Amino acid sequence: MAIRVSSTVPGGADVVADIERRSGERVSACYQCGRCTSTCTGAFAFDYPPHRIMRMLQLGQVDEVLNSRTAQICYDCMTCSTRCPMNIDVANVIEHAKMIADERGIEGDEKEIRLFRLAFLKNVRRHGRLHEARLLTWINFRSFRPFNDLSLVPLILRRKKIHIVPPRIKNRQEVHRIFREINGGDK
Amino acid sequence: MRIGVFVCECGTNIAATVSTGKVVDAALSMRDVLHAESIQYTCSDPGQRAVIDAIQKKGLTRVVIASCSPRMHENTFRRTVGRAGLNAYMMEMVNIREHCSWIHSDIDEATDKAIDLMQKGVARVRRQVPLHSTTVPVTKRVLVVGGGVAGIQAALDIADAGLPVTLVERGPSIGGNMARLDKTFPTLDCSSCILTPRMVEAAQHENIELMVSSEVEQVRGYIGNFDVDIRRKATCVDAEKCTGCMICQEKCPGKAPDEFNAGVGQSKAISIPFPQAVPLVAALRKEHCRLFIKGKCSVCKKVCPADAIDYEQEDRIETEKFGAIVVATGYELFDWRESYPDYGGGQYPDVVTALQYERMLSASGPNGGHVQRPSDGKEPKNVVFISCVGSRDESVGRPLCCSVGCMYIAKQAILTKEHIPDSQSYVFYIDIRAGGKGYEEFTRRAQRDFGAIYLRGRVGKIYPSNGNLVVMGTDTLSAEQVEIDADLVVLATGFAAAEGAGELARKLNISYDQYEFFSESHPKLRPVETTTGGVFLAGACQGPKDIPDTVAQASASAAKVIGLLSRGELETSPMVAAVNQMRCTGCFKCRDVCPYGAIEAVELRDGREVANVIDSLCQGCGVCNVACPPAVISLKGYTDGQLIAETMELLR
Repeated sequence: MAIRVSSTVPGGADVVADIERRSGERVSACYQCGRCTSTCTGAFAFDYPPHRIMRMLQLGQVDEVLNSRTAQICYDCMTCSTRCPMNIDVANVIEHAKMIADERGIEGDEKEIRLFRLAFLKNVRRHGRLHEARLLTWINFRSFRPFNDLSLVPLILRRKKIHIVPPRIKNRQEVHRIFREINGGDK
Repeated sequence: MRIGVFVCECGTNIAATVSTGKVVDAALSMRDVLHAESIQYTCSDPGQRAVIDAIQKKGLTRVVIASCSPRMHENTFRRTVGRAGLNAYMMEMVNIREHCSWIHSDIDEATDKAIDLMQKGVARVRRQVPLHSTTVPVTKRVLVVGGGVAGIQAALDIADAGLPVTLVERGPSIGGNMARLDKTFPTLDCSSCILTPRMVEAAQHENIELMVSSEVEQVRGYIGNFDVDIRRKATCVDAEKCTGCMICQEKCPGKAPDEFNAGVGQSKAISIPFPQAVPLVAALRKEHCRLFIKGKCSVCKKVCPADAIDYEQEDRIETEKFGAIVVATGYELFDWRESYPDYGGGQYPDVVTALQYERMLSASGPNGGHVQRPSDGKEPKNVVFISCVGSRDESVGRPLCCSVGCMYIAKQAILTKEHIPDSQSYVFYIDIRAGGKGYEEFTRRAQRDFGAIYLRGRVGKIYPSNGNLVVMGTDTLSAEQVEIDADLVVLATGFAAAEGAGELARKLNISYDQYEFFSESHPKLRPVETTTGGVFLAGACQGPKDIPDTVAQASASAAKVIGLLSRGELETSPMVAAVNQMRCTGCFKCRDVCPYGAIEAVELRDGREVANVIDSLCQGCGVCNVACPPAVISLKGYTDGQLIAETMELLR
């Protein structure tokens, strides 16, 4: 089936413009050399390699990008960004696609990965840094497996890998501010 | 005083942003403006006729034309008013296109600005006086800088027209980069077979004087009359005596890098760069010579049967006069090593540049045309070509296309198959740019008839593995990652300006771009001229180009030079400096700053020594105006009175 390019996808161009504005990257600068894909460490697990994501955004195939496995599971190793001859931070573009997907409540197929990412961010925002005990508990409950890996808890506690009491850091407000800025003031 | 104002609409170029009618009305309300009109295309024949008619019918004595840049049409309109019977300099051009309509979008504001500019022009032309040009004789000799195929072609064309040419080449032989190529695309002609006869012809031509191992040191003068200092570098070999027997090279114990072979193999401290070198004369490189490093050797002197070795030789400076200069300094390959650590940054011996591979393929190369990879001398079976290394890459500051990489890779893929029938070539490309005659067919042949596998994508990384190289790339057509086990990787590195290009440009007073490629005067209409009169461009010094384009541009340059020097004398601009000698104090600061040596001292009848401008030498640069303490030098056509009147009009 022929793809529908931006002008025919309702709101497609707007989302791409939104990604460009928020990420500060020029999606239109990509000329599809594929260097991002050549050494992409996650491409084996992606449905679309990074250069395809860039192309799809150029054509305004926003739904496909926001629902893609790539946008859900890319782990920001940034190899693509270091290699891009056009100085596009490709990982940043994908990260913003990920954020917009979250804002739209798109869950995708990789529910646990999304759950972890959202839990992680929420955790860091609340505590200023990661509070592992709370993160693990939260994930276990949210994924309906409250007893998952429970047998490891005594061991981790004994080795002081995680702490029951939340960490205290200075200037937690600064971390909140960073989150606010990245989310454009909302939330 | 009867002034006419003509406002050009330039189709919609001006009229779409500037209300030309309002400019006309504003002009008509000015003192002394008897006539104003807007014309759709003033430079067109009917447009010019309208100007002439108005001048003649209304007896106009001064004309303002508000249109495009004077760079575009000043000469056109000077001729127009000249044909109408006025002095050609009684016309003032005002730029309401580049300076106004093209750069603004608000019609009212743009119109206001156009009116300001027009009024300024009227104020200036009011104080204009008729000017008359003089003529200077020209030197009918030509300097060609650079002895590659561009320089050779230009020199031969000019020499064939009967003009004496001096061909200056920095290296020990002419031939340039083309002499290093094995074959040429798309015909697979042997490069040296077609170039060598031209090199020999240049050397033997009665009108061409070859100066190898020489560089332009300094350039003075102006179009028609340049004085050029040429440094004749010491080569420790008497060119008159050397017979090119190469015994010195055989016996020399001093190893030196082989520049001709792009670093593949080694050369000697005294050598003839390649067997077809012209002139066939050895040159000694002191930085690699044992005698100059350690103070002991002189083997070459002992073995030379012609007694041509002279260690005492020193650099000489020769000054010669030329009427025109052709710059043909060519290119060198972009040094990829620092910019591409992902490709090994020069650490992997089996990652070579296409020029190195060219030498490996060449019968006159270090391996006699048997392809052996540098690391272990093995014949490679899997050869991977990577295009756009140092081209189309903003991250290394080289966004430009080298324009020949696609073609020379296709050629080398074909040659690889011819040299090693059981080999397989892989070509990573981004777009195949094959715009020339027969080029597209050639790249198709590489794939169809010679089995080269083309992969559309860029390589991300090369790493060594088990004595071979693993190339990690992408095939964007299948949107998959690709890994190839390669015996040899060839990089299609882009073009960079020749070393020292910027420095030479400054000596010649010509402009260059951010890559140090020399700028042509106009990208379409003056492609071989520079912004400095009498200096012309040929070949890759102006930008990446292939051999046919280089030769074409060289011949074009030659035609320009021949045209220029076919006249016995040149008309000079009358816009030269003039000294008010009654008020000159004779400090001669003007003489000190004049870059053209155009100011002399003359004695007045009362015995005072004052400055005098030699009209034929003055180029109207205006430096003396600024330097003169009592401000008694002014530039005709740009007098202080005119400039102040313009400014006052703007401030009014």
